Amino acid sequence: MAEHLLEVVDLTVKFGGLTAVNKFNIAVKRGTIHALIGPNGAGKSTTFNCISRFYQPTTGRVLLDGVDVTRMPASAMAGLGVARTFQNLELFGELTVFENVMIGAHVHAGRSWVEVLSARPPGVVEHVEHLLERTSLTAYRNTVARNLDFGHQKLLELARALAIRPRLLLLDEPAAGLRNREIAALDALLTDLCRREGITILLVEHVMQLVMAISDRVTVLNFGTKISEGTPDDVRNDPSVIEAYLGQEMAHA
Amino acid sequence: MSDKTATVIPASDTERPRLAAPEKMPVTQIALLAFVAAALVVLPFVVTGYVLYIANLLLVFIVLCLGLHLVIGETGQFALAHAAFYGIGIYSSGLAGNAFGWPFPLSMLLAGVVAGAVGVVIGTVALRMRDIYLALATFAFGEAMQWVFLNWDQVTGGPNGLRISPARLGDLEILTDRQAYPVVVFVTLLMIALTIVISRSRVGRSFRAVRESDVAAMAMGIPVRRAKITAFGLSAFYAGVAGSMFATFSTYIHPDSLGFQTTILALTMVVVGGLGSITGAVGGAIVFGLISEFLRQTPSYQEIIYGLILIVFMMYAPRGLFAFIRDQMGRITRG
Repeated sequence: MAEHLLEVVDLTVKFGGLTAVNKFNIAVKRGTIHALIGPNGAGKSTTFNCISRFYQPTTGRVLLDGVDVTRMPASAMAGLGVARTFQNLELFGELTVFENVMIGAHVHAGRSWVEVLSARPPGVVEHVEHLLERTSLTAYRNTVARNLDFGHQKLLELARALAIRPRLLLLDEPAAGLRNREIAALDALLTDLCRREGITILLVEHVMQLVMAISDRVTVLNFGTKISEGTPDDVRNDPSVIEAYLGQEMAHA
Repeated sequence: MSDKTATVIPASDTERPRLAAPEKMPVTQIALLAFVAAALVVLPFVVTGYVLYIANLLLVFIVLCLGLHLVIGETGQFALAHAAFYGIGIYSSGLAGNAFGWPFPLSMLLAGVVAGAVGVVIGTVALRMRDIYLALATFAFGEAMQWVFLNWDQVTGGPNGLRISPARLGDLEILTDRQAYPVVVFVTLLMIALTIVISRSRVGRSFRAVRESDVAAMAMGIPVRRAKITAFGLSAFYAGVAGSMFATFSTYIHPDSLGFQTTILALTMVVVGGLGSITGAVGGAIVFGLISEFLRQTPSYQEIIYGLILIVFMMYAPRGLFAFIRDQMGRITRG
């Protein structure tokens, strides 16, 4: 068991002549919440998509628990215990809340014919119901996903990702567009998932309120390069960060 | 099917949060099923051979539509080569009967497996494409297959068509539509049951996931390409079985009936019935099959009327006849 559940080594991504990410390194410790922040266009989402295997990096490696997964197809990651959410929500819009989460449990339904063809694989349904309860979605069980309000859609994406029973949870801007009250609830849920269930979380986020409250470690990216890393306090007081990022935030506040 | 019904009810209903309903079949549904079962049993005793021929044909179209439902309705892949797989099914089972005298259950299985295997091969290539490109590629394959049926004289009899010897099982020979009817009904029910099982299982769920968002499906660990190829192969299997069903009550097959019109006819049935629901596929096949039978008297207007029906449905009932009826009934009962 490697000390770091996730390691990204010398990651470089080029789109044509543009270098979106340049020799980027990050190591996420097991059982922690790690935030990746930076101004728009800094390369956060690109990095994120390389880790979840949706993009192929130009050079560099992604190690999961010490195992090189750089060549794995995206669809293999769920089986390895890596779940993700999407910045712009990618729900199964015409399907019910329940079905959405059931699809998340896809990798756990067993391989035998009976299990593959069973409508309600034992164990799976109970877990799905539990997750719905946990994300306060039980009342919306039979609602079609696209009819949910935005906040509940975000929660549904989280519930669906949790159905994978992840070791590593990758969250792409989980708080974007949420109201303060909803952010507070998310804050509590994520902390609980990490502290009580030992799920390691890597999140890309713009909402500083959430990042500073729950992160054990923060990495700051600007123009594809790491400019700072440390505890939330370290980062908050780093002059280069204030200049590149928090400075803008402060100016707005 | 309670999971599925939620996708068919009108949007205004689903906007309100609804509590988990106990999974019991409503009385009306049970009554309807009983009625259908009784009608299927009674039918051969009260109608003429010609009507039974039509009934057999409708049942064949139901199976054809179920296959199309899996690949288009469930998985969202516009495959337009259904007539080709149907043809492969007819010729496979016909030839297995003619040349080797195989009992018909075996030649039915063969027809499904051969069509399914060809489907997997074609799907592997064609499903690299999506949307209109996929539609065109599969359309081209369908046209190519019709050319093969027309020109591979030694096997298909070419433009002269192929005489199909009667289906047999031991000493039993199927010579009339009346004899074929129970077989055709049985196979249809089997295929409907199979579709329900697939649709409710993890396999069906992965199909729908691919239809709704292949990106999210991938993140959920679903191998998207494999799911698409599976759906495509399954739908070809269904078309092959439908072809072999046709062969049990037909004595003759000509490649003319295996062209694009047949694919479009099946597609129209599925769309008119309601894309994405099994009831829609089955009901669409029956309703539109009957319409097209009545239109047979006026062949010159047939295509125009098909086209009109399709347009009207897409404009006013895009989710199909049965969803439309349910909406209207809901409106009436709500006042």
